[in-house]
Amino acid sequence: MSERSVLPGVRGAALHTRAAGRRRPWNRHLLGYALVAPLVLLMVGVIGYPLLNTVLLSLRDQGVVGSSSSFVGLDNYQRVLGDGEFWAAIGRSGVWLAGNLVVQTIIAFVTALLIGGNGRWARGARTWTLFPWVIPTVAVAVIWQWLTNSNYGIVPKVADAVGVHGLGSPFGDTALAMPALILMNSWHWFPLGAVVIYGAMRTIPGEIYEAARVDGASAWRMFWRITFPLLQPVLFALGLVGSLWSFNIVDSIYLVTKGGPVDATTTAPVFIYNKAFNEFRASDAAAVSVVTIVLLAALAFVYIRVARPKEDQ
Amino acid sequence: MRFRTARRVAVAAVALAVVLPVAACGGSSGPGGGGGGDDKTLTLWHMEQPPNRVEAFQKVIDAYNATNPEYKVKAQVQDWNQVYTKISSAVQSKTQPDILFTIPDFTTYVRPLGVVRPVTDLVKELDQEHTFVEAAKAAYHDDDQYWAVPLYGMVQMLWYRKDLFAKAGITEAPKTWSELLAAAKKLTTGKQHGIAVPAGKNLATDQVIYSLMLTGGAGNFFTPSGEVDFDKPQAVAALNLYAELLKLSPSDAGSYSWGEPQAAFNSGAAAMAIEKGQYLSPFEKESGRPASDLGCAPIPQADNGGQPGSIYYSNAAMVLSQDDARAKGAEDFLRFVLKPENYGAFLNAEPGLFLPLTADGATAPSWTDHEVIKKYRSCVDAMLEQSKTGALFGFVDGQYIDSIGKISGQNILAQVVQRVYSNGDSPAEAIKWGQQQMQEAVSR
Repeated sequence: MSERSVLPGVRGAALHTRAAGRRRPWNRHLLGYALVAPLVLLMVGVIGYPLLNTVLLSLRDQGVVGSSSSFVGLDNYQRVLGDGEFWAAIGRSGVWLAGNLVVQTIIAFVTALLIGGNGRWARGARTWTLFPWVIPTVAVAVIWQWLTNSNYGIVPKVADAVGVHGLGSPFGDTALAMPALILMNSWHWFPLGAVVIYGAMRTIPGEIYEAARVDGASAWRMFWRITFPLLQPVLFALGLVGSLWSFNIVDSIYLVTKGGPVDATTTAPVFIYNKAFNEFRASDAAAVSVVTIVLLAALAFVYIRVARPKEDQ
Repeated sequence: MRFRTARRVAVAAVALAVVLPVAACGGSSGPGGGGGGDDKTLTLWHMEQPPNRVEAFQKVIDAYNATNPEYKVKAQVQDWNQVYTKISSAVQSKTQPDILFTIPDFTTYVRPLGVVRPVTDLVKELDQEHTFVEAAKAAYHDDDQYWAVPLYGMVQMLWYRKDLFAKAGITEAPKTWSELLAAAKKLTTGKQHGIAVPAGKNLATDQVIYSLMLTGGAGNFFTPSGEVDFDKPQAVAALNLYAELLKLSPSDAGSYSWGEPQAAFNSGAAAMAIEKGQYLSPFEKESGRPASDLGCAPIPQADNGGQPGSIYYSNAAMVLSQDDARAKGAEDFLRFVLKPENYGAFLNAEPGLFLPLTADGATAPSWTDHEVIKKYRSCVDAMLEQSKTGALFGFVDGQYIDSIGKISGQNILAQVVQRVYSNGDSPAEAIKWGQQQMQEAVSR
């Protein structure tokens, strides 16, 4: 077994030390900078400019998007930070994020383990596992609404058949709407996690498991002592990017509940959308966006500090 | 594993993932669809997405283009949920359509963008030629100008299943709130519900509760000076009735919008519903019952102080061309649509739902000869009659509330319903909350 495959991190650290010891002059990197320049310019254009525009808009009092406005300084921020509905939306975003993170990770992990086998069913499952992922979000929303509709949905029909009568759609219930949406969204996105985890698992050398088996390790012990630790960097990145994507989801929520009932599913992005396009307060929406960016960046920073795999692991 | 590299990649991913979605709020993105068309083509945006409507509108447009006008018309179908964003972007990039279909509150949204041309002379000319229903024009009249040309109307009725009424021994459609409630209770048996009314946070809920508010004398949400006047006993009474009706509706009415009550009605899971004329066309096919089983009646009125009424609004077309010649071309197209010989084909894009707004249109064979209109003629006539007492919040009795879009856009009426249905608030508390929300909405 090679040093590289058994002790991740050691080779990387050594390379870094060597590289730091012989830094090349900046002009040696000129070609590299030139090659990435178009991409950087593109990113500045499509991300930097709208972001700057958002900050500038948040300092004005624009109502309908695109209408005339005047400079109001930090008034919008003062109002946003004192708005209980905004903080409630941030709280619901926390629930949404945590719920999606937990549910998707569990389902993805279980699926990756199941499709990792060599049997015929496992091989076939590798294809159809992707099915929910390729369905457009709007179709997912419709499917789940149909499934749970009390008039023609299969879920209430099955429940009725087993003696649970009067079951209706959870999306109209303040207590059930958020968990139901988390389940729906997790069902839509878990294949991404499953495929990434499955791919990462395939890179773990079989010799490690062989050695563990020779030492008498059980399957459960091998999972916790070999599979899980070696997947940590992948899980870390997946958790980070997946969480941020989940946080920013608007379409799934809006298509099904529009943030209702009684704001039970109004997360921060839905709150921003409502401000901009339903309440016609573009500058307020921009201020909320900026505050949300800061909060999200802080959250991501904390996550990186706390959850990132340590180099000595 | 190269942890420092991984960390840098992670940080970059964070930056991208954080910034990308919210950066879209910048408001300087491209038009996202549509455009001004070429030199001799007028772009028309409409939001009637069902394929049958798209096809029918296209036939009318093709017929117009076949007359070899100087400016031909090209339709682009938009989504009601996205058109607010798209029109703002299009105006910013000067690629707005020449003709934009609208409803009264959407007009109040588009006008501040500064590109809507007054069409006063055209409306007066068409009124003289075809005679518009007064309520159809009024919602587009402000600052002594007309801002859109009315094209088709929509009104709500009480729909009921005559077969289910007969089984329950009910011989007449309810005329009052107490009769409505009594009928709904009597019709609720086993898996059958007396009525299906929506309580989702959507326009469907807004409209059904508003129809009952109108017949309860609470249809005007504003004082003559334009201040919000929503919190009144009549509104509480209407909401109280709605809460009672929701108890007799399917258990997931909290997520209902347009389609679910109709599906429940056609399947026989609900015996009554309150909606517009889209119930006519698919009834026989979806219910498996003869057309004679579909009953319709005016919206029941409050027992005390009730009045006839129903939500009613006209859909219209705004002219956004900034060039005079193009604007004239757009007006020529609208003249063509309202000619009685063409109007029927346009209205029958959704027979029974799209109602004529002109006197000669209502009798035009191009409309009345359609199979659905002939089959349900009594209901169609009842809808035309109901239209005469119809109204829309923000435009009642000649009002024109500029900020009404902020109330309808937030679905405040639907939220009021949800506070009672899902949150357990009393109707009085919910109406009080609605008053505060409306005040806040119009204050800025």
